Amino acid sequence: MTRAPAVEHVEADRWRSAVSAAIAGGAEFDCLYAAQTEQDPVVRLALRHGAQRAVLTARAAGSHLATVVDLLPAAEWDEREAHDIHGVVFDGHEPLRALVAHPADRDAWITSVEGPDVHEVAVGPIHAGVIESGHFRFHVVGERVLHLDLRLFYKHRGLERAAEGLTLAGGLPVAQRACAACAAANAVAYVQAAESLLGLQPDEDLRRNRTFVLELERLYNHLHDLSALCAGVGFDPGAMTFAALKERAQRVNERATGHRFLFGSVSLGSGVGGISIATAAQLSDEVEAIGSEAAAAWRTLTFMDAIQDRLRDVGQLAMRDAEHWGAVGPAARASGIHRDVRTDSDGGLWYPGLEPARPEQPTGDVAARAEVRAAELEQTCAMLTALLAAPPGPGRVTAVHEPAALGAGRVESPRGASFCCVEARDGRITRLHLRTASYANWPVLARVVPGAILPDFPLINKSFELCYACADR
Amino acid sequence: MFILLKRLQQLRRTVALPAPAKPSSMALRHVDCGSCNGCEHELTNTAGPHYDLARHGLSVVASPRHADVLLITGTVTTRMAGPLRAAYAAMPEPRLVAALGDCALGAGVIGDPVELLGPAAELLPIDIRVPGCPPTPAAIAEALLGALDLVRRPLREDQR
Repeated sequence: MTRAPAVEHVEADRWRSAVSAAIAGGAEFDCLYAAQTEQDPVVRLALRHGAQRAVLTARAAGSHLATVVDLLPAAEWDEREAHDIHGVVFDGHEPLRALVAHPADRDAWITSVEGPDVHEVAVGPIHAGVIESGHFRFHVVGERVLHLDLRLFYKHRGLERAAEGLTLAGGLPVAQRACAACAAANAVAYVQAAESLLGLQPDEDLRRNRTFVLELERLYNHLHDLSALCAGVGFDPGAMTFAALKERAQRVNERATGHRFLFGSVSLGSGVGGISIATAAQLSDEVEAIGSEAAAAWRTLTFMDAIQDRLRDVGQLAMRDAEHWGAVGPAARASGIHRDVRTDSDGGLWYPGLEPARPEQPTGDVAARAEVRAAELEQTCAMLTALLAAPPGPGRVTAVHEPAALGAGRVESPRGASFCCVEARDGRITRLHLRTASYANWPVLARVVPGAILPDFPLINKSFELCYACADR
Repeated sequence: MFILLKRLQQLRRTVALPAPAKPSSMALRHVDCGSCNGCEHELTNTAGPHYDLARHGLSVVASPRHADVLLITGTVTTRMAGPLRAAYAAMPEPRLVAALGDCALGAGVIGDPVELLGPAAELLPIDIRVPGCPPTPAAIAEALLGALDLVRRPLREDQR
């Protein structure tokens, strides 16, 4: 996405009809957020239609605006967040439960489930392993889950508000530090947003440079996820095999960019270059070795019935539901949605001929989500070796459009589509909004779990492997 | 499975930390107070074949009631201050607190001050400091193995 989206102001009384018309015309949802102005808050809705991007915006007079959650179910969390942070009341969104806010009154965020033998199991915010903080409230009968309420945002650091008033370059560390595991994806989404705002276009070197960093991130994340899945079924040899490969991938990160989590490897207006041909050849060999060892380990797992029996038919996400609730990334592809931001015609990156990975059968269960990751590991290793064959230089940008007041960027993180919107006036950020793949998939996960048995939750959770940090911000 | 195990055994022989000189143990409880997940990734990596801290008797336990050391990551958010204090209060004495990473140590903090209470040191006494953003698994391993001496106490007369 190299061009700033067209911003269209809509009168509040026309908000729902304008959104309906856009959806009927084939527009798809990117995100919804609120921003504070001198008088009332404004609500912005980012949509895309093929390569076309648009932002509809309406003033919430007296902090009220009609809801669009029935038209765009994926906007549920977005509206709840806009209510909690900017005080916008979405008329018709009932009940408008607390999401970011943590009210003491439990009815404000818990759905009451009643009936014989129904009881609640509270888990977190501190978990039993080395896991980020967040709270799950399971409503169960016996060991069967009827409903799951999520209470995240224990790690809400107010990052978006902290970015307000900073320069566009100063906003980058904020976006990057939202989450270590998605640092490159969030940083690239941010610089794309800032560059589209400034009317800048990256050259091929810069596109390849950023693609390289994004794929390094996918490599270690997917290895981590496969390790976590093996741990989720108590299969330590698999968990340790993939953990060792992940460690090697992070050492590649350090040699290629100077940081194990790729911090500082994305910058505004240029890339971070300087991989020598000799180093590139060594890194390429190591990436190839990691890829072939991961493929061999995965093949071993596919022939182990004891593992496969635990992965199949667990945590199924039907394709219809994945579409309806706006699932993204490997989770959506495992359910048969052939969508991947990397295949967008102008994503501002370098992915020639890439096709979204497909599972053999789009069963939407834990097995399919694992299979998609294994398939993507192969693609990623192939892309990294192709890029290392001619290591990209730092690259540069050229001014091609008039600067705008709002820019947007969209990137396929290891967990799926992550979106960033930046608004600025006089070179200073007035609003930064990051809607990551984890944010999109958390509510989907909560809807997949009911029907499963409680002990399968950790496994289902690991098959999505969502970040708390970049959802909470 | 046997192929995987055989390869893992080879890997342990070639890359893992040297075997412990004397028997030891230390139970760890981790509390994420608002990190970016980087420290968590690196802490998890210390259990992998390259570092394998379990060989030195270090393990992450599910409850603070069973822990010798509380590992804190991230700048403490207003929402995590309560759970952090509860976890510390649940620990048996003597207990140690480790601040893992620059955020927990109060350096390079990003965020809205309204949402953040501050570094862990402002809430609890810190015994072990592991700087880094995030600290590498090697740095975490070194700091924790160094702290073994802090938890290794001579037996009382009646225990000998």
